[in-house]
Amino acid sequence: TYNFADCDFEKIREKYQKVIFPALEGYMSGIKSTESNHTVYCGDRPGCLAEIKHLTFSSTQECPLLAKEILTKTNAILTHHCPGYSGIQINNTQAMKKRKKREVTANKCLTQVSNLIELWRHFSRFRRNKS
Amino acid sequence: GESGYAQNGDFEDAELDDYSFSCYSQLEVDGSQHLLSCAFEDPDVNSTNLEFEICGALLEVNCLNFSKLQETYFVKTKKFLLIGDSKICVKLGGKHITCRKMNIVKRVKPEAPFDIRVIYREEANDFVVTFNTSHLQKKYVKDLMHEVAYRQEKNENDWMHVNLSSTKLTLLQRKLQPDAMYEIKVRSIPNTNYFEGIWSEWSPSFHFRTPETTIGEMD
Amino acid sequence: FSDPGGPLHLQIINFNFETVQVTWNASGYSGTNLTFLYKLRSNEMYGQCPNYILQQGRTAGCLLEAEDDGILYFSIRNGTQPLLTKSQWISSYLKPDSPKDLNFQWHEEAVTVTCSDLPHNDLLYEIQFKSTFDTEWQSEEGTTCNVTIVGVDADKCYFFRARVKTMESTYGSDTYPSDWSEVAHQQRGERRDSCQERKLFPRFILVSG
Repeated sequence: TYNFADCDFEKIREKYQKVIFPALEGYMSGIKSTESNHTVYCGDRPGCLAEIKHLTFSSTQECPLLAKEILTKTNAILTHHCPGYSGIQINNTQAMKKRKKREVTANKCLTQVSNLIELWRHFSRFRRNKS
Repeated sequence: GESGYAQNGDFEDAELDDYSFSCYSQLEVDGSQHLLSCAFEDPDVNSTNLEFEICGALLEVNCLNFSKLQETYFVKTKKFLLIGDSKICVKLGGKHITCRKMNIVKRVKPEAPFDIRVIYREEANDFVVTFNTSHLQKKYVKDLMHEVAYRQEKNENDWMHVNLSSTKLTLLQRKLQPDAMYEIKVRSIPNTNYFEGIWSEWSPSFHFRTPETTIGEMD
Repeated sequence: FSDPGGPLHLQIINFNFETVQVTWNASGYSGTNLTFLYKLRSNEMYGQCPNYILQQGRTAGCLLEAEDDGILYFSIRNGTQPLLTKSQWISSYLKPDSPKDLNFQWHEEAVTVTCSDLPHNDLLYEIQFKSTFDTEWQSEEGTTCNVTIVGVDADKCYFFRARVKTMESTYGSDTYPSDWSEVAHQQRGERRDSCQERKLFPRFILVSG
């Protein structure tokens, strides 16, 4: 598993604020993340990025796949600012899902997106000198 | 950052016309649709068979082709990733003539502010200037710097400028000529480290006349 | 904050990451002492509230030391029956401290207002100001407590106040703005004890467009 310790955290933080958060927020369509239980914790910036990557690209019975925009943007940010990180092949991920051709209703992924937002938020709150 | 490079290999013997071009982006210009517009810098370029294409930093697709309206090429889409560089190329007969690396979030041109108006407050001896911007409701480019410019109409180029981030400004009566016709307008530019770009068009101008009387002392 | 799971109306306030206050509206359980169990890490055991808030002698809330920016796991019970069990990042309910000691630097038709920044990321410092001729406050914001306001008339007497808000991308939408700072008065570049309020019969003339 890749160690995110050498990533450019400030650049990632800026791109989360400006580009990923609007996409995640749009996905929540007005539902507050405090309406779900927050169950995923991360203790430092590298740990948060690892959890974010895991939660973004993980597939569950309830939520087989997050919106392509979230996957692609997260992938782009991590590959841009984490040296040696090669990213996830998104098309393949989808090919794998082809067998479970099921209409993913948006709200099936709400809890996952809600936890994802809270991980990104926690990542953003780390002060510059405290990684 | 931007650097331009020509694909000389494609046209070994062709004498390279100047196909340099510039582009600007307008995000969420139509709902969640973005717009990227490009045009040749040399207006005399014969663009009849020339096409534009953008590749890279796109969602779900590798490349998109531009449409053309008179001398402007444009692509309207939701598929801009808004992360990283794209490559924009001029094509002739399907072959790249010249390409540029460009990050569209660094080429944002805001929509022009509108609805500028001036209210004179006799008691306060000042003029309250207000205007509106469509960017307050956007998700991406929300933070703008505005430039208000005003001049006495008879002084052609004697513009005064004020930069502000809010949409309300007070002009002091004692700083303006009495009984004079003034013109005032405003434009905007992105004001964040991430989204950068160029000035919007100017808003339509508003014209107002200052009162004749000179200002009384304020207690 | 009304909890969809039950009749308890809950309010959580994280006072500047120093203390966390959880209060509940126990009208549905009058006469009962509800208990508040909590833990700050998922692998810990629930513990009893160290510092209950009482109302008419009944438990109505709990005051906790906020050790860190983490998840609060809690359960409110009527005897052994859990009424509400939740886990929430305490940052989602942040109420920052209000700004103190505003400083003013006057320049030509502009003033820069400064105060000390709080030690948390992604806060917004809102400065409100009005002269005695204004009926409403006008706002300017900055990501640090260093905000320049243009178009002010040094001759006029101005009221200033400041507060701290949180950015939604970093804290969510359930936080609280800080309380306002004390109101400061300024005229001709100097501090005043007060500004004479005017009986305003505003004569606004929309000059022709």
